[in-house]
Amino acid sequence: MDKAITVAALTVAYGAATALSAIDLEIPKGKVTVLAGPNGCGKSTLLRAIRRLHQPKSGEVRLGDLPISGLKEKELARHIGLLAQNPSAPDDMSVEELVRLGRYPHQSMLQPWSAADGEAIQAAMFGTGVSHLADRRLGSLSGGQLQRVWIAMVLAQETDIICLDEPVNHLDMAHQIDCLDLVRRLNQEHGRTVVLVLHDLNLAARYADRLVFLKDGSVVAEGAPAELMSEELIEDVFGISCRVITDPVHERPLCIPIRNSSPRFRADTAA
Amino acid sequence: MSPLAPRLSPALARISRRAWIAVAVIAAVAAALALCGIGFGSTWIDPRRIVEILFGEGTRGERVVVLQLRAPRVAIAILAGGAMAVSGYLLQKVTRNELASPGVLGVIGGAGLGVVIFLALLSDESNALVTSIVWQPVAAMVGASVAIAAVFLLSGQQASSAVRLLLFGIAVGAVAKAATLILMIVGPIYRTTQASRWLAGAVNEINWGEVQVVAIGLAIAMVGVFAVARRLPPTDLDEVSARGIGLNLPVFRILVFALASALTALAVAFAGGVGFIGLMAPHLARLIVGRPVIPGIVASFLLGAIMLVGADLIVRVLFAPTEVPAGTVTAVIGTPYFLYLVLRRGSTNG
Repeated sequence: MDKAITVAALTVAYGAATALSAIDLEIPKGKVTVLAGPNGCGKSTLLRAIRRLHQPKSGEVRLGDLPISGLKEKELARHIGLLAQNPSAPDDMSVEELVRLGRYPHQSMLQPWSAADGEAIQAAMFGTGVSHLADRRLGSLSGGQLQRVWIAMVLAQETDIICLDEPVNHLDMAHQIDCLDLVRRLNQEHGRTVVLVLHDLNLAARYADRLVFLKDGSVVAEGAPAELMSEELIEDVFGISCRVITDPVHERPLCIPIRNSSPRFRADTAA
Repeated sequence: MSPLAPRLSPALARISRRAWIAVAVIAAVAAALALCGIGFGSTWIDPRRIVEILFGEGTRGERVVVLQLRAPRVAIAILAGGAMAVSGYLLQKVTRNELASPGVLGVIGGAGLGVVIFLALLSDESNALVTSIVWQPVAAMVGASVAIAAVFLLSGQQASSAVRLLLFGIAVGAVAKAATLILMIVGPIYRTTQASRWLAGAVNEINWGEVQVVAIGLAIAMVGVFAVARRLPPTDLDEVSARGIGLNLPVFRILVFALASALTALAVAFAGGVGFIGLMAPHLARLIVGRPVIPGIVASFLLGAIMLVGADLIVRVLFAPTEVPAGTVTAVIGTPYFLYLVLRRGSTNG
């Protein structure tokens, strides 16, 4: 298995609090890897550390064989694209203007604009189905449209690796599926390596080639969804007793939560 | 097509073209107002005549009035107003905060205090500097940089909530103004005569030497501005997204803050603390030319120039022969506008 990113003994701390402790992980090339776990488990922190938004306390992240700590800001941005958890841009910015920003890491004082930039923008807007919105102001778009435009911006960056931090958080169910189908298409048709943070376990199981469970800042388990989605493991990681069945449509594991089984929760309800 | 202009889609090309047409119109207004500024005085001089005099004609008397007395005053108003406005444009852009401006962030107060301390330390009894006036903008820059650094250190984050930033900015500005006032009162008498300049901002009693220092400093600073302009568009995004496309915003902001402080310092060094141009001119520029960055910077400069030349013209028309500082006009217009912005913000809870 070819690896796109290697995380080696990575420890990240916020002040005194350790957010990630000694994480070892390989992100396979050309696959969709989903980081999942309960709130506060460190999944977003791990994604951000992979994109060098956090300075590790120890350990490192390597892109292929290269430690990312040695890359320049724009160089890194040509390799790894990032869709932030709550991205924001001015309401009066046009769709095309935002997508153009994806070309920023490819431009410099000496190379201000090239035909490749124009092609990448057109392709990104076409690929995400927002070409017809090009002249619209961001403030006039619906949540689902806006998320597609942001993905178009990341796509225009033409990176081999795309990181998305909870991209479907504030979308309704139809748009969640729409957005994640789009992400999977980018993976399958364009061969992009995708790293996703999702907290919805069933969406994670449905879209992941490889699933990584985190708990309290450590990787608890990783593997294909079918291997990982056992009732015991889910209870251990998410603190929920559940049944796991096979989704009859997609033939992926599907978790049916029964009740919260974490000791703290039980103490709360008893009192 | 120029190599600097990115290839634009028809829609964006149209937006850019419109922006540059607007800039051309603003430039024409600025030029006309500058001629009026020179023309107006104890005797009215026709604008056409002024152009002739500027190109080397005219009697000795006319040449003295236009070239020695009036032109420097208008020239410093153009440079100082323009510099303040560009400073405000940069600050609003990188903090993503429409209320940010050199005045509100305490930069003007800091620069003014820097100059006053410099004058207090290095003037002799006849009110003459014992050193070169070239150091005056440097002193202003030191004051401006200390002020902006203090504001951002106190507020804890570079782009913290608008209100927080504002409160610290206003506090730092107030302290600087108070210190300036104390220096005025306890300092030698001759300095008090200049108090109005350092407290309100004015463009009278300017000579070509001072204009030259500001012009050269501004030329250098504007090279810096256009060099960073290409990196400004990503600052429209949140910090994480900006880093995602390869702009390290926290580091870039420090560079822009330094540049904005230098611009404000150049304006304050000789024209004093003219308020609110750095707030209003960029807003008006964005209203007229829209989002494109380079036309926005040029339009801000021109509108800032128009505001200060216009303010000076107003005080001269209304109060001549008494010299009322031009900064009073910008403050009278700017303060209610600022309050309107704060109230509007409060009502939308933004």
